[in-house]
Amino acid sequence: MRSYLRHPFWQAVGLMVIAYILIVFIIPALPGSAVVPKSVVLQYMATVLVGVLIWVSDDEARWTTFKEPLHDVLVQPRLKVIRTAVLAAVTLMVGCITYGQVKASVAAPPNLRSIHPAPPSQITFRGKTITLVGLDNPLRRSGDMAAHLAVGHRIYYENCVPCHGDHLDGQGHYASGLNPLPANFQDNGTIAQLTESFVFWRVAKGGPGLPREGTPWNSAMPAWEDFLTEDEIWSVVLFLYEQTGWKPRTWEVSAGGSK
Amino acid sequence: MALVATQDTSAGKQVYTKWCAGCHGDNGAGDGPAARHMIPPPRDFTGAVYQIRSTANGQLPTDADLLRSIDEGLPGTAMPGWKNRLSDRQRRDVLAYIKTFSTFFADTTQRPQVLEFGKEPGGGTGAEALRVGRQFYDSIGCRKCHGDQGRGDGPSAPTLKDDAGHPIFAANLHENWRFNGGPTTTDIYHRLRTGLDGTPMPSFSDLIDQKFLTETELWRLAEYVRSLSPGEPPVVRDVIHAPLVTRVLPRAPDDSAWNAVDTYWFPLVGQVIHKNRWFAPAVTGVWVKAVHTRDSIALRVTWDDRSASPDSAWLGHLGRVLATVQSDDSTREQPALWPDQMVVEFPVTIPTGMERPYFLMGSSSGPVYQWRWTSASRSAAVAGLARGIERFDSLPRGGVGARAVYDHGQWRVVFTRALASLDTASQLPFRSGRAIPVAFFALDGSNGEHGTRMAVSTWYFLALDEPVPARVFISPVLAMLLTLGLGMLVVWRAQQKTSYRRQQ
Amino acid sequence: MNGRILSVVGGMFLLTVCSKGDQGNAAAAPAAPPAPAAPATSDPSADGGTITGKIKFTGTAAKNPTIDMSEEAACKAKYPSPPTEEVVVAGAANALANVFVYVSAGLPANAKYQAPSTAVVLDQNGCRYHPHVLGIMVGQNLEIKNSDPLLHNIKAIAKKNRGFNVSQPNAGMTRDVTFSAPEVMVNLECNVHGWMHAYAGVRPDPFFAVSGADGSFSIKGLPPGTYTVEAWHERFGTQTATVTIAGTESKTANFTFAAH
Repeated sequence: MRSYLRHPFWQAVGLMVIAYILIVFIIPALPGSAVVPKSVVLQYMATVLVGVLIWVSDDEARWTTFKEPLHDVLVQPRLKVIRTAVLAAVTLMVGCITYGQVKASVAAPPNLRSIHPAPPSQITFRGKTITLVGLDNPLRRSGDMAAHLAVGHRIYYENCVPCHGDHLDGQGHYASGLNPLPANFQDNGTIAQLTESFVFWRVAKGGPGLPREGTPWNSAMPAWEDFLTEDEIWSVVLFLYEQTGWKPRTWEVSAGGSK
Repeated sequence: MALVATQDTSAGKQVYTKWCAGCHGDNGAGDGPAARHMIPPPRDFTGAVYQIRSTANGQLPTDADLLRSIDEGLPGTAMPGWKNRLSDRQRRDVLAYIKTFSTFFADTTQRPQVLEFGKEPGGGTGAEALRVGRQFYDSIGCRKCHGDQGRGDGPSAPTLKDDAGHPIFAANLHENWRFNGGPTTTDIYHRLRTGLDGTPMPSFSDLIDQKFLTETELWRLAEYVRSLSPGEPPVVRDVIHAPLVTRVLPRAPDDSAWNAVDTYWFPLVGQVIHKNRWFAPAVTGVWVKAVHTRDSIALRVTWDDRSASPDSAWLGHLGRVLATVQSDDSTREQPALWPDQMVVEFPVTIPTGMERPYFLMGSSSGPVYQWRWTSASRSAAVAGLARGIERFDSLPRGGVGARAVYDHGQWRVVFTRALASLDTASQLPFRSGRAIPVAFFALDGSNGEHGTRMAVSTWYFLALDEPVPARVFISPVLAMLLTLGLGMLVVWRAQQKTSYRRQQ
Repeated sequence: MNGRILSVVGGMFLLTVCSKGDQGNAAAAPAAPPAPAAPATSDPSADGGTITGKIKFTGTAAKNPTIDMSEEAACKAKYPSPPTEEVVVAGAANALANVFVYVSAGLPANAKYQAPSTAVVLDQNGCRYHPHVLGIMVGQNLEIKNSDPLLHNIKAIAKKNRGFNVSQPNAGMTRDVTFSAPEVMVNLECNVHGWMHAYAGVRPDPFFAVSGADGSFSIKGLPPGTYTVEAWHERFGTQTATVTIAGTESKTANFTFAAH
């Protein structure tokens, strides 16, 4: 056993196994991590292999010892069974991989979708023209904030919960049936990146109001102008920021950009 | 209890007001703004009646029971798990606050007692164990509500109400991933012992106490119930592969040819996009299989539905649903005997790019091609063009056949059509080797579903697979020969060198 | 809904208090308080006043729905003709049975009454409850038994008490339950058989009764005092009357509900 542990070949094999276990099993178990995709696993393993090879070949004696078992498999008459098995396994593997590559299988077409497409400069809301450029939430300047938020809270729970969820994280009880998934407002890539007028536009016009690059044919987001008034939509926008703690992008800051 | 001592109800109130009151209401009465769209409705905390407990029927839950529901949520309902959404501290605080809504928790002299559940006996997955479980399923009357095959379609199912008089479904025992108290055999056994308080599901503990049943026999029943659901919850795969069959097309829903075909699951959700919205869909998903011959396609859609509508036995339930769930109507709808419906949707032509018609039944400018089946005319389907959710124009010579079977709470409908179409402008010609967008819509008439009130899916894909052509095998064989040759060369060279060295 | 409230409030509310003694006597009676400190006996037959009465209804009650027992052959076989639900059980001359009558106010606040050791029995027989309406004291045993060879679940829906829901799939099964707080009424139902309903009036004292087939009831053993008597019917709602008792006299309180 100890001789195995000292042998560079088996040390190298051991390193590879440890690396594999680490990448495939340990990393996904860490809090906040996800399963590592197969292609990434392959990349990591290749990197580890290169590192291991550099290490074993660094020292001439170690390199020679390392090669011994490999060489034995190729030449030793007593290892004939293993030799044959390795040869057959490698051949079969190559065959399978090639078959997998050439076999034609219909897959779902790639769904290239712009998550935050450029908004129009103005929209027509129930016949009224609203200019989005430079527009801030008008409710921030008038009336009782608590009252606006109370309206926004009510509107959200009456209408948005099934898809966007109680936690505003896009994981409502209908979310699993939808594609694309409902927006996750807790994520720093959604409302945190947007102006309130953009959010107003998305709520008011919904999926059907998306430009082509936003794949309007897939989105289950209703056009809320059919259900809610202008003030109600502004209230719910206010609520989204209040509940998640994000601050909307302001026009002063983003004036230099094209958004 | 130490747990209680560290809890601060004013902190709990803050958490509650921010994250819970939207459904459960400011005063814990289960009447938040979201409640009017929910079946089952959010828990009313004022009565302290809880479904998921480890305590005897009618007893209060333990703190651990309540924490479990907060942490894991109640699958099959709108209640999410909060374990990863709120901190440990926040969840314990809110637990303490929820208890203040009911005076029952104020009496601390009566500490809830956890039942002695014991452990699952061995041998539970064998045929004999399941036979015993099935025997008790029948003899103690589970089938009265859950139905002969467990799909929640028993004779008493249409009359069920919860304590507040809201409609409630007997659980479909084939969907354990939607069981409120968890999917495992142990979860099921615990529910059998404690009952689901507030619902029609009683406790069966007395049967053991009064020696009508042994614990092992009740475990067998739990194991039988577990065996009705798949080992793992179904996973959505985007593309339905329809293999080519050389035999005759299986037009009957129960043709044995279907057994060899892969099945695909697609979840459905309420149509909450277009007026009038529908928040309480009864059909949770469809299981789809498809095959094709050289000239025709057959698509089998299977879904669980507790009633073969129209069925007057369900009128009471229907009235309760319409009275409980609000929609966008100005006046409440009156119950009527609506049929069940299934709609299979395709684009009018196979799209070449990414662009497709609007998934929710197209639009006035971009129609979709649909097959519509209703239980009113079981063995027929209508093909037509939908231009938005409210407009459907049937096509003459639609050429779509349908055969349907209703069997113990399940519809199985086979749609058939020729691959080619005479009218390529409006009727999709099916081609093999292409990803053809497809979507499904289901309506349960006895649950009040008609018109825009339905369960919907988004776009998925159907692919008519070709048999693998022989030329595909050429390159793998070549690659294998090459590898083998190279390998043998390496071995031969190594052996040559070694023997050469030895000779020296 | 409105109609029901109107008919309860404005319904023919006839109360006859045949006072044998005059008002002076009745008023004088409390001068000798009925020793509220002493725990009153729970035996209603002990000395004390009695309230009796007859309960009627006016108008025509909707017909009780016929029960479809085709799913339960064992129950169906117990009836020569299809049975009906027991929403309104009427005797001769519109006498109204199954009315729960109880003293809702007027007893000494600190009086304690011992629950009798005998149990009230609720039998599930022929897929109906017997009795359909019952009164029971806090702490008194309610013995629920199943005489049918099939599954009943018995569910109690209560606000002030803990509800319960237990299954009795076999004939001969029994279950003892007690209630911990007064509550009029606790609803009992079977979810397997949607037509099975029973009602339990839970009281802290023994002064209650359920009207019989002839509409009559009698509450015995009341100490002298002025009482509010309430009559409850599952369809027709509630009515109240005020009765003053002196000594061991017997007073009459008749109730007339309006059918709707």
